[in-house]
Amino acid sequence: MERLKTNALSKSYGGTHALKDISMDIIAGEVHALCGENGAGKSTLIKILSGVERPDTGKVHWRDAPLPLGKVDAIEAHGVVAVHQEPVIFPHLNAVDNLFVGREHAMACGIWLNQASMRKQTQNILATLGEALSVTEPVGEMSLAQRQMVSMARALIHQCRILILDEPTASLSARESASLFGRINVLKEQGVGILYVSHRLEEVFKLADRVTVLRDGASVGTWAIKDLNRDTLIKHMVGREVPVAPPTSSPNVKPTKQPVIEVSALCRKGAFNDISFHIQPGEILGMSGLVGAGRSEIARALFGVDRFDSGNILYGGRTWTSLTIQDAIAHGIAMVPEDRQLQGLVLPLSVETNLLLPSLANHECFRGLDQGTMRSTAGDLVTQLGIKTESPSKPAESLSGGNQQKIVIGKWLHTHPTLLILDEPTRGVDVGAKSEVHRIIQALAAKGTAILLISSELPEILSLSDRIMVLCGGCNQGILSRQEATQEILLRRSLPTDSGRDI
Amino acid sequence: MKGGIRKVFAYMVRYRAAGLFLFIFCLLTLVTLVNPTFLEWQNLRDIAVQAAPICIISCGLMLVLVTGEIDISVGSMMGLLAACMGAMASLSRGNWPPGVVIPLTLGIGMLLGLLNGWLVAYAGIPSIIVTLGMLTALRGVTELIMAGTWITDLPSGIRFLGTGTWLGIPVSVWTALAVFLVSLWLVHQTAIGKRIYAIGSNPHAARLAGLPIKPIKVFVFAWTGLLTGVATLVSVPQLSVVDSGIGVGLELLVITCVVVGGTAVNGGIGNLGGVLCGVVLMTMISTVLIFMKLGEDATYWSRAIQGLFILGAILADHWISNQRKT
Ligand SMILES: Nc1ncnc2c1ncn2[C@@H]1O[C@H](COP(=O)(O)OP(=O)(O)OP(=O)(O)O)[C@@H](O)[C@H]1O
Ligand SMILES: [Mg+2]
Repeated sequence: MERLKTNALSKSYGGTHALKDISMDIIAGEVHALCGENGAGKSTLIKILSGVERPDTGKVHWRDAPLPLGKVDAIEAHGVVAVHQEPVIFPHLNAVDNLFVGREHAMACGIWLNQASMRKQTQNILATLGEALSVTEPVGEMSLAQRQMVSMARALIHQCRILILDEPTASLSARESASLFGRINVLKEQGVGILYVSHRLEEVFKLADRVTVLRDGASVGTWAIKDLNRDTLIKHMVGREVPVAPPTSSPNVKPTKQPVIEVSALCRKGAFNDISFHIQPGEILGMSGLVGAGRSEIARALFGVDRFDSGNILYGGRTWTSLTIQDAIAHGIAMVPEDRQLQGLVLPLSVETNLLLPSLANHECFRGLDQGTMRSTAGDLVTQLGIKTESPSKPAESLSGGNQQKIVIGKWLHTHPTLLILDEPTRGVDVGAKSEVHRIIQALAAKGTAILLISSELPEILSLSDRIMVLCGGCNQGILSRQEATQEILLRRSLPTDSGRDI
Repeated sequence: MKGGIRKVFAYMVRYRAAGLFLFIFCLLTLVTLVNPTFLEWQNLRDIAVQAAPICIISCGLMLVLVTGEIDISVGSMMGLLAACMGAMASLSRGNWPPGVVIPLTLGIGMLLGLLNGWLVAYAGIPSIIVTLGMLTALRGVTELIMAGTWITDLPSGIRFLGTGTWLGIPVSVWTALAVFLVSLWLVHQTAIGKRIYAIGSNPHAARLAGLPIKPIKVFVFAWTGLLTGVATLVSVPQLSVVDSGIGVGLELLVITCVVVGGTAVNGGIGNLGGVLCGVVLMTMISTVLIFMKLGEDATYWSRAIQGLFILGAILADHWISNQRKT
């Protein structure tokens, strides 16, 4: 039988046992979900299966023959291909080079690259993924979701037999996710075995045939999906009974006050058009829409990262027609950006430093920085958010994806922003930590911070926001109150209509 | 109208080769107006001969910068290679035939590059440290070999590499042209070229994609070493005296050319056309100053202007990356 079988895999980084004695198998034609909290070892297992890392001990068998460990190209040649959590993207190269670097097509005895054939295949694969991307533009200039698609396409140009997906939907919205699920089902019919990692449990229940749960690097067990329900799965992941209550709605009746920010007729050519809204102190305004609807672009304009062409922002008693990041920070605007690796973190610096960067001024004393309070503040944040790290002095890049995300949120908690912009704050964060993040967002709002929340997860938007603005193709499709909004309405409004509004 | 000028300017800054080309053209026009003899064949030939070895090394060094590393040892390397070549070829010392001296010089260059690359990729020492060490060490070895003496008696076979011509064009210029064409092929038409860019563009992703990062880094350093050997062979025989001071400060000139040519100091970006324009521009400047009739001050000016250019190039890079964001 065609299957990929791991045999007692172990791996440690310094003092961290990232994986202990993992034995599991993936059978051709099944979707096998891999679940676990942040830092459970999922990505580490995937790095071993795809040859990026070499295990300390253990073996992997494919079709009953041992797989060459630690060699990405040899493993890919066997048809075992992975899409990693952080997209494999070379920002300065175009899509063709991104897809083919490392497996170039050569001709004339290898002295000349076959550009035409590579370009043709790139166009084909992008077309089957339903993406109309330019193949000459540098990939770094595309949106995060488009980059994710390029990274996916890189895996799919292979005739794969085992496809490993590490949180592929983390930066996709409902529609792209649906097209990905369609693709997964097609592959499954063709007898491809799929290992699927996601923190969105509804996806796991929708797609998977079997589930393996990891906890603290060890395997808890493998179950057929029909033997599990949401609560038992969470129990296996966390190791104890946790009532993950849906976030309780904060009292919605807020006296109308002077808005913190009033945006009128904001435009930026090619990104968004005629956007007007206001947020009051203590209010959470949700922003919903498909990927590419212009949500992040608006957030970036409010934070002064991008310019806007026309319109103005009334904020802090001033009317701004242009704004820089320095202005934004000086006037109490904080932002959790979409891309943690490129924009949210200083990867080589320690967890502690990353957590304290925005609030360094709080720790200034007559001798410079007060190391003692800094250490204790950082320590508190680490415990509060459940950031899994060997010590706060480890570099941020050694943390698992979800734990990195927790730093990006955590660093704003000790500043007291007037306006907090959250762009996909719970991307890649596990169930337990997600409700903690929700709790924190609500606590901040209760203290009077105005919050702009961008999220592709409809339940998150629906349960947290006081009002919800839906965007489509850069245009405001209306602002709904919490009572009016339902998943169906949000989805319907976020889909482009036939009349096709152009910007 | 203002928007139009802005657009043209943005294009020039973004496509460095085009911008530099225009700049060189304007400069040429200006100098010719002041002093028409600038465009004489003899002068242009001199500039080309001066530019050739710089161009040869720049083609290698650009690839080092594209991978995100740096090599500041090429000046001392050229010094050592010149001493070795001199000692092997000189009539009074080795008196070995060119057929032996040429491959040996190239081989030593490549070995030194390999050593740089190995220390960076496999021993994991930052390239700035490795090559800074080499910069000092190789100069020391050169002084040991030369032991305070000079070599003046290079055989005619070796001399030909520096001073000979073919179809009226100096051998060194032909060689630079060949190296440039080979580099174009390497960058655009080979797997290794694409991988060099990928590694510099995103090292994390390169690891996940399983690219052979270490061998590629060794390759770019070895290639630079080899090209430094080539540059030595075509430039040093032009000199009447080979001493232990050849190539001092060369690394800075080469890095300036590469960076002015639009290569990003932190990897991922680099364009051979831009680098070639950078080389031509930087070698022209000193000549231009002489022709602008600045007299004595010309040499002082040329240093200052080089510095301004490197700052200007970095500012332009900065400006581009801001433009991209907005
Ligand atoms: N390069 C590294 N150096 C040190 N520790 C590491 C490194 N990579 C991973 N770890 C540690 O190994 C553990 C497992 O990490 P892994 O990335 O596999 O988690 P994960 O299950 O994928 O989590 P997430 O859901 O957040 O992505 C974590 O504790 C992490 O800190
Ligand atoms: Mg992970």
